[in-house]
Amino acid sequence: MVLLQLDPFLNELTSMFERSTEAGSVWVTLKRSSLKSKVVRNKMATAGEAIEYRCLIRATNGKKTISTSVGPKDHQRFQASYATILKAHMTSLKKRERKDKKKSSESDKREGTSKRPKKS
Amino acid sequence: MVYITSWDEFVERSVQLFRADPDSTRYVMKYRHCDGKLVLKVTDNRECLKYKTDQAQEAKKMEKLNNIFFTLMARGPEVDLSEVTGKEQTDAQPTKRGRGRKQ
Repeated sequence: MVLLQLDPFLNELTSMFERSTEAGSVWVTLKRSSLKSKVVRNKMATAGEAIEYRCLIRATNGKKTISTSVGPKDHQRFQASYATILKAHMTSLKKRERKDKKKSSESDKREGTSKRPKKS
Repeated sequence: MVYITSWDEFVERSVQLFRADPDSTRYVMKYRHCDGKLVLKVTDNRECLKYKTDQAQEAKKMEKLNNIFFTLMARGPEVDLSEVTGKEQTDAQPTKRGRGRKQ
């Protein structure tokens, strides 16, 4: 697993999305972590030190995994770039045409087509 | 796997889940461009909440949720969430220091 700095991670994430357009998925996982082992953490807790937590972000396309760790100082910047990347790539989601109460994904899965007269 | 149908319920329960156990709760997102589907999962390895969609508008809501999680995770679960604004109401890590934007 490759641990990267923030910006290379974002670049890799972008190319991952681009490569997975025809087939495959992109998974992104977010988890809070202090990146220290339990022993060290216990020691720090007993010593009265505040444990600094970071946000661990992992991305994979099934074959390759990349990761990065974001602290409170860079999380705003990361958040903004991350949002931009997602917005740019999630283009195959359906635009909203009408107010659907039901989850249209369920019905579409069964139908296998997006054109379905649902107006009642 | 529990698929939640209401977005707001999903958000609320995931935040609750995270606040209850910040060290083991994780948020996973899977996107398949070829199927045009997005699935979100929040789990603490005991309970699992999922949400799936194929709507572009939901992606926007998901972005807000991403922001929430980023803030929670980077700053600590005691951060007071006011959704979009006022994420800096409590400071940094889970210490009880509050900067207090209120008068």
